[in-house]
Amino acid sequence: MPHIPTDSDVYEVFAQSGHGTALNHVGSIVSPRPDAAWHLAKETYGRRDDLVKLWVVRRTDMIVSSADDRGLLAAKTRMPYRQPGFPTARRRDRSASPPAVAAPREGRDSGLTERRDDAREPGLTDLWLALADDLFVLGNRLGEHIVDYIDLEEALAVGSIGQEALAHAGTILVLCGFDQPAADARFFDRAQAQWQVSRVVERLTDWPSLVAGGLVIAAAVAVLAEQTAEAAQTAGAEQTAGAEPGAAWLPAITAIRDEQLVHLDHWRRWARALAAWPETRTEFARAYAEVTERAGDMFGARPQSPAQGVPAGAAPAGPALAVTLHERLAALVGENGGPGSRLPDGPGTRTWGVGGSALADSLSRGRTVRDEYAPGVFS
Amino acid sequence: MPMATAAGHRCYELWDPMPDEVREGARRFAAVQALNELVGVLQYVEWLDRAPSHTRRQMLMAKIQDEVGHGHVVARVAEDLGMPRERILLDYLEGRTKIHNIFHYSFATWEEVGPGLLLTNSAAITQFQSLAKGVYLPYARALRKVEREESFHYQHALDLTHEILTHGDAEQRRRVQEGFELWLPRILAYLGPPDTDTLHTNRMWQVGLKPDGNDEVRQAWLNKIIPVVRKLGLHVDPALVRQAPSGEWEFEMPDWAQVKKVIANGGPSSQRRLDWVRRALDRNAPYRRALQGVA
Repeated sequence: MPHIPTDSDVYEVFAQSGHGTALNHVGSIVSPRPDAAWHLAKETYGRRDDLVKLWVVRRTDMIVSSADDRGLLAAKTRMPYRQPGFPTARRRDRSASPPAVAAPREGRDSGLTERRDDAREPGLTDLWLALADDLFVLGNRLGEHIVDYIDLEEALAVGSIGQEALAHAGTILVLCGFDQPAADARFFDRAQAQWQVSRVVERLTDWPSLVAGGLVIAAAVAVLAEQTAEAAQTAGAEQTAGAEPGAAWLPAITAIRDEQLVHLDHWRRWARALAAWPETRTEFARAYAEVTERAGDMFGARPQSPAQGVPAGAAPAGPALAVTLHERLAALVGENGGPGSRLPDGPGTRTWGVGGSALADSLSRGRTVRDEYAPGVFS
Repeated sequence: MPMATAAGHRCYELWDPMPDEVREGARRFAAVQALNELVGVLQYVEWLDRAPSHTRRQMLMAKIQDEVGHGHVVARVAEDLGMPRERILLDYLEGRTKIHNIFHYSFATWEEVGPGLLLTNSAAITQFQSLAKGVYLPYARALRKVEREESFHYQHALDLTHEILTHGDAEQRRRVQEGFELWLPRILAYLGPPDTDTLHTNRMWQVGLKPDGNDEVRQAWLNKIIPVVRKLGLHVDPALVRQAPSGEWEFEMPDWAQVKKVIANGGPSSQRRLDWVRRALDRNAPYRRALQGVA
């Protein structure tokens, strides 16, 4: 976590040595008195070069990253798709490989409407696949809010949270054995009746409910990631083959958890602000109540049939696990500092085909371009 | 040493004493750019939820976030020079400022998005490279950050266009070609009226904030983009743009009266842009106040 250092007599020194260049951190000094700090810095770091600027800032006035923030700061690693080389490499790879023989579009048109397997208990992968659906919808909603002009810095943060939600949704599918075309088919070509989103999704409409929904979904993903990491560690390597999450899931799941905990903090700050401000208090209380009372189904996914890379014979998650996860969720959500949560006392189950017009609109918009093209054109 | 100094101009940092003309000019340049980044992005936003694959959606969302990020860095430059960020959008809504001609249009088809993005991004990069030689250094640095991100947008636009041209059907490829022909004249106009003969009387050129003339930037852009467009397999109609034996590009001169009308909110999407901004600002005013009030 970023922290505020404690050595109050230390000053960090920044200097610019040429016009047009950026300031560089050149070192630090100790000064018992603030008014002497700049002069002492000049004597320490300004004896050789012609400096253009010399800035001195007290260390305790800074917020600095810690070693464990390194992962969050690794933007190139976390978001490779936004490097100029990414679309270039994509194009090169695609022209190098023979044109994909496109599988017929599954879902809607192919009659494959049934992928239910209510006979078995849901496994952890079932829970993850359902949360991936929630993350995908949430990510798209947040994308629209980048240009909602609430605030510029806020817009950029929302943009990152939205992209990470999309990325996590994609990563979960990869962990569950989906390749890129299968993942696209799942997100774009499934009929609403084949989606198992949380009922929270239908309430992701205005900003207060996005804050509440973002908070609840981030908490749920963090909880499930923690549980999965524990399970993977105790399971050891022998149980990982194609079935439930194993050691191979750990790096990705840990990264997802860390990023979702940052999202959770972000939404909590918003929840506190909206709950404390007289003008928004009532509206947020209503949204928060309506979202949390729908959030009992976070870990209530029904089993999906072992098609499309969902591992067969997955170990059942079982009702006891749902209770544990739900309790952990309640603990995380309860700490938000906002008005009363209406999270149900116990876990509920998910239903196929919910999501209301929020999901319906999102799905139909997502198909407008895709449906005009032959399968396999877009990657 | 920056080129602006080499060109015989003094450069300025935020707290340096500087001529009022430089301060006000830099503030205006930065505020105008901020407005155009923040409103210009809306034409891409309209297509975000129609982007047809997971990866495309990620890239488009990254691009949209970057554009708002560009709006943010130049708005910060303007704020430091005394232009509050709230006023940037308010001035637009109240008719005191205008957005560039290209942002008064929307993309009618997905096939139009690729060439539209490609032409817009490449023209913007060329223009920012020129402006980054200007004498107000915080703005020049902001533009360098922007340029770096624009190169991703440019590659993304190439990829998007290439995808349809390579894998789409004849009708879809035809619409890409139409998109190119639709947007080329708009971008030619976006780069401003001819000014080779008048540049030296332009105060912004004299003080070093506008290092190159419109014609120079336009030629530099055409030099770069036309070969790229040809390599993609698009046809460049000589009636639209052609190269003279001297190497100079010739093109059909935009109807400047018409361009002016579009800029004065007379374009097909002008009202839509204004409405979007007005509605968003109204709807979100209480949340903005909550954020500031509780902080």
